[in-house]
Amino acid sequence: MGLAYKFDWGVLWRDPYGVWLLKGIWLTIQLGLLAWVIALALGILIGTIRISPWRLPRFLATAYVEVFRNIPFMVQLFFWYFAGPMLFGQSLQFRINAIIGLNYYVAILALGLYTASRVAEHTRAGFSAISRDHYQAALSTGLSHFQMYRYVIIPYALRIIIPPLTTEFLTIFKNSSIAMTIGVAETTFMSYKIDSETFHGLEATTGAMVIYLILGLGVVKLMGFLESRFRIAGLIGRK
Amino acid sequence: MIEIRDLSKWYGDFQVLRNINEEIKQGQTVVVCGPSGSGKSTLLRCINGLEPFQEGEVIVDGVSVGDRSTNLYKLRTEIGMVFQRFELYPHMTALQNITLAPMKVRNKSKKEAEDKAMELLRRVGIPEKAHEYPANLSGGQQQRVAIARSLAMEPKIMMFDEPTSALDPEMIKEVLDVMIDLSKGGMTMIVVTHEMGFAREVADEIIFMDEGKIIERGTDISFFKNPKNPRTKEFLDKILL
Amino acid sequence: MGGFWITVKLTSFALLGGIPLGILVGLGRISKKKWVYYPVTFYVNLIRNIPLILVIFWFYFVMPIIVGRPLDPFPSAVISFIIFEATYFGEILRAGYQSVSKGQIEAGYSTGLTYVQTTRYILIPIAIRRMLPSMITQSIVTYQDTCLAFVIGLPEFVRRTTIVDNIEVRSIQLFGFVAILFLITCYISSVVSRRFEVKRERGY
Repeated sequence: MGLAYKFDWGVLWRDPYGVWLLKGIWLTIQLGLLAWVIALALGILIGTIRISPWRLPRFLATAYVEVFRNIPFMVQLFFWYFAGPMLFGQSLQFRINAIIGLNYYVAILALGLYTASRVAEHTRAGFSAISRDHYQAALSTGLSHFQMYRYVIIPYALRIIIPPLTTEFLTIFKNSSIAMTIGVAETTFMSYKIDSETFHGLEATTGAMVIYLILGLGVVKLMGFLESRFRIAGLIGRK
Repeated sequence: MIEIRDLSKWYGDFQVLRNINEEIKQGQTVVVCGPSGSGKSTLLRCINGLEPFQEGEVIVDGVSVGDRSTNLYKLRTEIGMVFQRFELYPHMTALQNITLAPMKVRNKSKKEAEDKAMELLRRVGIPEKAHEYPANLSGGQQQRVAIARSLAMEPKIMMFDEPTSALDPEMIKEVLDVMIDLSKGGMTMIVVTHEMGFAREVADEIIFMDEGKIIERGTDISFFKNPKNPRTKEFLDKILL
Repeated sequence: MGGFWITVKLTSFALLGGIPLGILVGLGRISKKKWVYYPVTFYVNLIRNIPLILVIFWFYFVMPIIVGRPLDPFPSAVISFIIFEATYFGEILRAGYQSVSKGQIEAGYSTGLTYVQTTRYILIPIAIRRMLPSMITQSIVTYQDTCLAFVIGLPEFVRRTTIVDNIEVRSIQLFGFVAILFLITCYISSVVSRRFEVKRERGY
């Protein structure tokens, strides 16, 4: 079977395509990591508030999770990018839209907010996994609620939820590709751009695939390392 | 020291405590027994404010637990509680388990807290396990660490919720010995347990609860030899061999 | 509004192909035969680790080479989706298969049924019935994913005719508004899916 197509794997590293691809990878990494930091900090906070004994904060946290978790990410992204600036009123709106690289910041923000809602759910699941008596034991020594969460519950819960958090970390990198729809020149975008210049999209996208796989592997290795370092002796873990 | 007046509590429609009245003087050891679901554990948790209640009064050392203005956190520093499943913090060593509250609540220095913790570990018999994680301790050892953890706050009252129920038989004695020691040393204690040997040895009063009510009380001899209530007799027959 | 019909068609084909393929994939994942297990596992892990957009692009580029001529975007998209969604359905069904107690399978074999028959008449129906809620939510996710594909499709036409020399492509603003209309339907489907999930839970 003779293929009419000539493979040209050089598009992956030849100038300027190689540079494009590298720039794209760098953006993907930035999007993923920065959004992950936001997602973790915000998500754990919201997850904790979700189960706090005070009604109003708990309601707000639950509302946040329900809203941000159930609307598809791309919808959220578009909302923040197109409708977001309008929220700031007439005058600020134009100033915001004129920011160079706005789509980059919006993408990180949207990705962080979306993923935070999922992290919050995982955190809540972690808290539920800890027995009620455990909470009471901590409180019975006189600790305040805040102290209990900070020293006893959260460290314990975080270790429990490392596996689902790993999945979320992976998902963040996958979702980062959706940012290309608002023009962020990350990996997937670049692979497509290479095709539009060279018509060797197959090589480009295959290269992009490999890149995502490597990223995924890195995430898994990193989380696996964290899991073993913070392992609680005696809890069920992976070998 | 502890006064309970007409205490009633509901979970939704279900009444779990019915009109409990009881007085516990300083230095007394009170044993509470009864079938599961009788409200014993709930009673304990009402005393240190871990469970709210709808009716009645609980007064601990002059402080009304049900009062809105009461600082429950402060109250809990005076009441220690030991749980059936030990509930040691798994991510901390035995020593760290014990020193956490004194350091964070009483603002003790690390050295002060650790010295006291070591003293307590010696007292419960396992100073060599100070740097072990709970997973590496036997049930009996874990429970003794839990007792030390509660004692670290120098409480006036100690409450035990079925402390030996989750232990293998060989380890029950080591925990009971610590508790007997504590009782003889003058600690005010409330112990929910089925260990009647323990009750016979140190209890000043034994309370039998069923379906949220105190059915019978007595001092050990009268309680075991002549239970007045038929339900008490029924229960004792089942648990005493 | 023609776009809406495209997404419905795309979803339907994706499900019609993806679910049966998913059934097979799930079987492959619990297979004891190494020559089945490893390739299928490799395929599932591969697809699940890369973004959907990339999968769509990749197939768009691969198909012409395999078939020998350029492919229309629609069939290419359908195939991409079938392959993509099959991995997710495969994993759902794998959980379903694993939840079927061994006793029932053994009962099947002991009455003389062959592997194929046992699988077909016992294993698969039970698994599907158990995992039906998950499968329905995944189907709705499929619908949302096709919305994504459609949105990708629009800038694809735009970009193919423009020379991209910026990091930021402003022409996206043009189609953005139209895309938002579609995404609202995606959102509505999310709400539907959630209601269904909750209803199912209450049913137990």
